[in-house]
Amino acid sequence: MRLTHYLLLGSVMLTMGVFAQNKQILYDFNEIPQSLILNPGVETDFKWYAGVPLLSGVSGYVGANGISVNDIFAEDGVDINIKVRERALNVLKPRDEFSTTVQIEYFNGGFRSNDPSVFYSFGGYFEIDNITFWPQDYAYLIFDGNADQLNREFDLGDLNSRGSMVNVFHFGINKKVDRNLTIGARGKLYSGIVDYSSTSNKGYLVNTQGQNNRIATTLDADLMLRTSGFQSLDEASDSDTAAGQFVKRAFFGGDLGLGIDVGFTYHLSERTTITGSVLDLGFIHHGNDAQSYSLNGKATVEGIEIDILENFANLNRDFWQDLVDEVEGLIPFETDTDSYVTFRPTKLYASIRNDFGEPVNNGGGQIDCDCTAGSSGAVELRTKYRNSIGGQLYMINRPRGPQIALTGFYTRRFGNFLALKGTYTADKFSYTNVGLGMNLQAGPVNFYVMADNLLSYKNIAATNYASFQLGMNIISWGRNK
Amino acid sequence: MKGFRILVTVIFGFLLVTACSEQQDFDQLDNLEITPTYETSVFYVKAQESLINRVSGLSFFTQDFNFDAFEEPLFAERVLSGVLSYELENTTSKPIEISLEFLDENENILDTEEFRMDAAPTSTLVRNVAYGPTGKSLDIIKNTSKIRLVATNLGDGSSTSNLANPAIVLRSSAKFTLELK
Repeated sequence: MRLTHYLLLGSVMLTMGVFAQNKQILYDFNEIPQSLILNPGVETDFKWYAGVPLLSGVSGYVGANGISVNDIFAEDGVDINIKVRERALNVLKPRDEFSTTVQIEYFNGGFRSNDPSVFYSFGGYFEIDNITFWPQDYAYLIFDGNADQLNREFDLGDLNSRGSMVNVFHFGINKKVDRNLTIGARGKLYSGIVDYSSTSNKGYLVNTQGQNNRIATTLDADLMLRTSGFQSLDEASDSDTAAGQFVKRAFFGGDLGLGIDVGFTYHLSERTTITGSVLDLGFIHHGNDAQSYSLNGKATVEGIEIDILENFANLNRDFWQDLVDEVEGLIPFETDTDSYVTFRPTKLYASIRNDFGEPVNNGGGQIDCDCTAGSSGAVELRTKYRNSIGGQLYMINRPRGPQIALTGFYTRRFGNFLALKGTYTADKFSYTNVGLGMNLQAGPVNFYVMADNLLSYKNIAATNYASFQLGMNIISWGRNK
Repeated sequence: MKGFRILVTVIFGFLLVTACSEQQDFDQLDNLEITPTYETSVFYVKAQESLINRVSGLSFFTQDFNFDAFEEPLFAERVLSGVLSYELENTTSKPIEISLEFLDENENILDTEEFRMDAAPTSTLVRNVAYGPTGKSLDIIKNTSKIRLVATNLGDGSSTSNLANPAIVLRSSAKFTLELK
């Protein structure tokens, strides 16, 4: 019991932004091999690279656009009941979300083909995603109830949540078509460990003036929760085999799915480049340990109704139980083990970039190593410049429709060993999201670290959004410069 | 690897040192009170005058009804206070007395609510009975397993009201506050 409870609790607690993290700093930061994960058509010049196991790519993200930890838990002398009412109940709407993504690469590598225009990359990572939208009317029902609210319909569709823990294996091909165009594609094999989703709920609860009695209470429900993996982990936990069950489900013993990423880089001119990618066009078939729970139907009750004349011959029956049975008949709670399919949250990145300044290879800042921009494992590399400026677009398909983030960025390269990228991003979480990323190349050792929403660090508890990415790789460009 | 660890330590150390946070007190959660009030109908009983005239004797109707709603753990363990609201309507030609007895599982009478109404025409009798700190004991509600309804005809057994569909109608609803946290 405990393991799955912890998993669920952990997932829900982590549930706070986008159903997958916007990695706007890493995107098109093509000194870093992991930029291939965000755009399989990024320009690469590596001969090969190998991510340090478990350290090549670690990223996390927590976001809640409508409220922060500080809003509720600040030691400000205000009664928490007042804070919850004024800063959550009275403010949050069903489009406000709490979400989290955590991604940990456990292996990642790439190598150039005998055809130098082709680069292969591969790897595996665990991903935990959760998103829950503020269940406004459920919150009102829980905090206030339905008393004295005749004709007020409580919208049961406000329940909208989903999450998953997935092990992803991927293999990508990156092809430099010509001097201007690079394309790429990545196939993904998903091995689902746990999944839950309750995203298409409908219905309402309402009290109206009764026809016979004082109040008629109507429940019109079309609710469904789909889960997969929890029961088997629960049972395994009871028999102390949870770890084995977890590994089994992570490595093809659970739910399976397929996906694809595609992307490109195209030079409009010597210094102007556009890129784009679509990620996670895919699905997972949850056919192993699926459990669905549904409540579907409509009933209106006015309490126990006894018309003595009509029931005269049968007054000894159990009216209460009959009422319960009638409601359960009209709105049956059902469980089943039918398999189901979930689609991965598809993401789209696009950017336009203008390079300017001196070429990286000119001037100082070069270290004598088999490394960095301009060196050549690939064919006919384009010149890299010290400065880049541009804009990026990020879109993600979400349960309540697509969400968009716009980013402006500036990249500065210091020789062939250091590059910095600063970003400004506007999205539903923040209009003051300034991020900074650093890529450091020390010989063959590549290290990068990135963090978002830096302005929030003056009071981290008050932020609506925080994310980070870091990783370490060994990179070879095939020959010393 | 050592260099990497040092670098990560330095970077996150820097972030931790430079990052600030107002003092947070998560123990405040203990003070959070969630006490919603829910409202719904409870029971509705209708006895037509034609039925009353058919039964000989004063007490024309006595019946125990199973009523487990208040015993449900979600309710019984969390109820803080509440109000039972009654509406009694008499359109018959007879004065009527209605008695509601709240019984526990062993059929012990926990409480009795009595209503007496004159013959029609008369206005609807409305009564709100509070339970909890400002009213009757909540134990009455929590332990109620059955409700016994006793209806007594205080008039004759033959007259008929001039009003349409003459009957005794008892309506009721409940409004209770629960302590969810």
